Amino acid sequence: MNGPREEAATLTPAPEGHSYDARNIQVLKGLEGVRKRPAMYIGSTGQSGLHHLVYEVVDNSVDEALAGYCTEVNVIIHIDSSVTVIDNGRGIPVDLHPTQSRPAVEVVITTLHAGGKFDENSYKVSGGLHGVGVSVVNALSEWLEVEVRRGGKRYHQRYEHGEVKGDLETRGETAETGTTVVWKPDPTIFETVDYSFDTLSQRLRELAFLNKGIRITFLDERTGKKHDFQYEGGISHFVKYLNENKTVLHPSPIYHTRERDRVTVELAVQYNDGYVENVFSFVNNINTVEGGTHLIGFRAALTRTINNYAEREGLLKSLKEISLGGDDVREGLTAVVSVKLPDPQFEGQTKSKLGNTEAKGIVESVVGEGLRNYFEENPQVARKIVEKCVSTARAREAARKARDLARRKGILDSGSLPGKLADCQSTDPKECEIYLVEGDSAGGSAKMGRDRKYQAILPLKGKILNVEKASLDKMLSNEEIRTIITALGTGIDEDFNADKARYHRIIIMTDADVDGAHIRTLLLTFFFRHMKPLIERGYIYIAMPPLYRVQKGKSIHYAYDDAERDKAFEELGGKKGITLQRYKGLGEMNPDQLWSTTMDPEKRSVLQVKLEDLVEAEQMFTVLMGDQVEPRRKFIEEYADSVRNLDI
Amino acid sequence: MATREKVVPIYVEDEMRNSYIDYSMSVIVSRALPDVRDGLKPVHRRVLVAMRELNLLHDRPFRKSAKITGDVTGNYHPHGTAAVYETMVRMAQTFSMRYPLVDGQGNFGSVDGDAPAAERYTEARLTEFAEEMLRDIERDTVNMRPNYDESREEPVVLPSAVPNLLVNGSSGIAVGMATNVPPHNLTSPCARKPTSRRSGRTARRSSSPRSPTWSARPRCSRRSPIS
Repeated sequence: MNGPREEAATLTPAPEGHSYDARNIQVLKGLEGVRKRPAMYIGSTGQSGLHHLVYEVVDNSVDEALAGYCTEVNVIIHIDSSVTVIDNGRGIPVDLHPTQSRPAVEVVITTLHAGGKFDENSYKVSGGLHGVGVSVVNALSEWLEVEVRRGGKRYHQRYEHGEVKGDLETRGETAETGTTVVWKPDPTIFETVDYSFDTLSQRLRELAFLNKGIRITFLDERTGKKHDFQYEGGISHFVKYLNENKTVLHPSPIYHTRERDRVTVELAVQYNDGYVENVFSFVNNINTVEGGTHLIGFRAALTRTINNYAEREGLLKSLKEISLGGDDVREGLTAVVSVKLPDPQFEGQTKSKLGNTEAKGIVESVVGEGLRNYFEENPQVARKIVEKCVSTARAREAARKARDLARRKGILDSGSLPGKLADCQSTDPKECEIYLVEGDSAGGSAKMGRDRKYQAILPLKGKILNVEKASLDKMLSNEEIRTIITALGTGIDEDFNADKARYHRIIIMTDADVDGAHIRTLLLTFFFRHMKPLIERGYIYIAMPPLYRVQKGKSIHYAYDDAERDKAFEELGGKKGITLQRYKGLGEMNPDQLWSTTMDPEKRSVLQVKLEDLVEAEQMFTVLMGDQVEPRRKFIEEYADSVRNLDI
Repeated sequence: MATREKVVPIYVEDEMRNSYIDYSMSVIVSRALPDVRDGLKPVHRRVLVAMRELNLLHDRPFRKSAKITGDVTGNYHPHGTAAVYETMVRMAQTFSMRYPLVDGQGNFGSVDGDAPAAERYTEARLTEFAEEMLRDIERDTVNMRPNYDESREEPVVLPSAVPNLLVNGSSGIAVGMATNVPPHNLTSPCARKPTSRRSGRTARRSSSPRSPTWSARPRCSRRSPIS
């Protein structure tokens, strides 16, 4: 790969005896190459690579399901970070391979590019752009064991570091069929062997939705968390699930599927009365986060079909000049578009954008046809949808005017920063942080205690607006929200640009009481709904102020939870002669105390807010902050026992 | 920057779940909804307890409201005095309470919506009714718990010799749930066990709170035909 070019570039005379000839050209045997360059096969050796191994094995099981032979997949993460995947498919063949003269299962697990997916007879489409197979998992594992249940017998074989340890042996009889793969990732190859339950469960849930009827169970033995996914309705069910706690315009999703030119398009659409667009697109079971040609086709068809229908039925009169734009027809839209095609081309930064040009036309015509038919057959639903789009267009017009007005007055520009903001001196966003502080009392302490070079303070008054229940123009007329937008400098809605953030650390600092907790949820809702990229980039933090001050004589301890408080008691020799202060508000602290306990980057602890499982997060915000009370009550009843900090 | 800063990752949905449960459970169990035993929300209970400690009985002189709210917030209720004063004013308003718990001196607002005088002007003491609520509290009748800074103890619930929840009613909006109990004439619930009441029916408001008509057979004969 390198070699001659690098030598030429450095121009240092090659040392004696180091000639570059045929002897230097290595052919890495078997799985050696995978171990040498793991990133080539699984993307990285970090957490995502680790997850990749799981997907690789699960995808094989799902392919069995797609072919119609498997109904259940069980995934278990063990405490020692090994993983078990069990399916009830046909089981990998165990008879001798004609050319390799080894059992087929051993060939599959120890040879790259071996498998049943290269002829179109065994599997029509197969999941995954990876398709590197279980052999890569084997190569990157400390050990791997496989059990095949097939033809009334149970077979077992073990591998270590990619190499066979003992022949395939028969271990008794069984009436079941299927394959079990257990492996432990090699800690010398992976930087981390810590799986993210959320990421994996999101992926497994998606797989269950995308493959109608398959049952996927997921157990994390490290925490005891368990999920069981099975959805008879497929993506229609997926859409219902996404809309579960929202008020929908029509009870059952619009569903349509059609195969055209070897491409299968499946579509489920349902509108709710909310303000956000929620569209997930998949190609061969892979979530195309960056979209691509199929999504473009879907959007074009949606806009055109709704506009055509509305015009024909004379529903656009009230709009005068304006027509329904793409944004108007997508507000409150929840949709899943799943495309299965034989030869997907992926592009983009994360290889999650479909590039096949033919997909656009096919998806557009299938979606157009599906929606048109549905509208003809269900005029009431069609009318409701169009009416919603029309009122969205009007509200958008009103919001645009409000925003223009605000912009003209310079309210949303960072050119004129809000008076309440105590800005920092530095202008380099990378080193700047802003504290969003609850109340003016605490704002004062924070302002005096901060390091003014790179810490800015923005005091907020009381409870901010719950944006989940407010439309954009109502939100923009709210003073506190506007102050936040202006201070961050990112703009909002269409003008939003995360690159313009004036601070790369936005730290929510609220009192350690329950109202502080509430304000935290309100702020997170605002960021999640209107500045999601800031969460995705990891800009959002939560400060951790101490809960207690334990003092005896001159020695002071700060405790961040009850356990630390009790430890402090012990260190100070029992409760006698101790003054205990339970902090109810940040304003109780002197500026220097606030600095040293909560704000000093040398000593402080902060929580960094992460977003991985978008579906789960979406649900959480809808249930907790949305306008439906019933799901919220259910949620509270379910989690009432897990309350940590009850204010009495 | 080489720092010893500790950055702990947390998923947004986990943070939301934890914070929201803390908030909603606190609002439900100790803010917006009354205890079924004494019909009081914590802030009401704390006002009564603090007033009793100041010895503000119905036959004693009035004291400044500001003194009372100061004691309530300082000793039991770590929130703003404005909210406590509002609560206390409402407990004194004859048009808000079937049987007021506080006896107010000065402008305590009117049914037209006029605001009460500021807390530095008005004075207050307990009513006889409130003293019934507190009766025998010193005789170990109810459980006590430490207050917010563990410097003293407060009752978990008042002994309440009168069925306050039923006679004064209560309303409150918490998170995911709310309450709305109508007021009743004192004779109705006292004459019968609450469990024998027909569901949802309310006794007719027939008398002014200050001069109750102690009817012998209150319910059947006096119920409004449209209730």
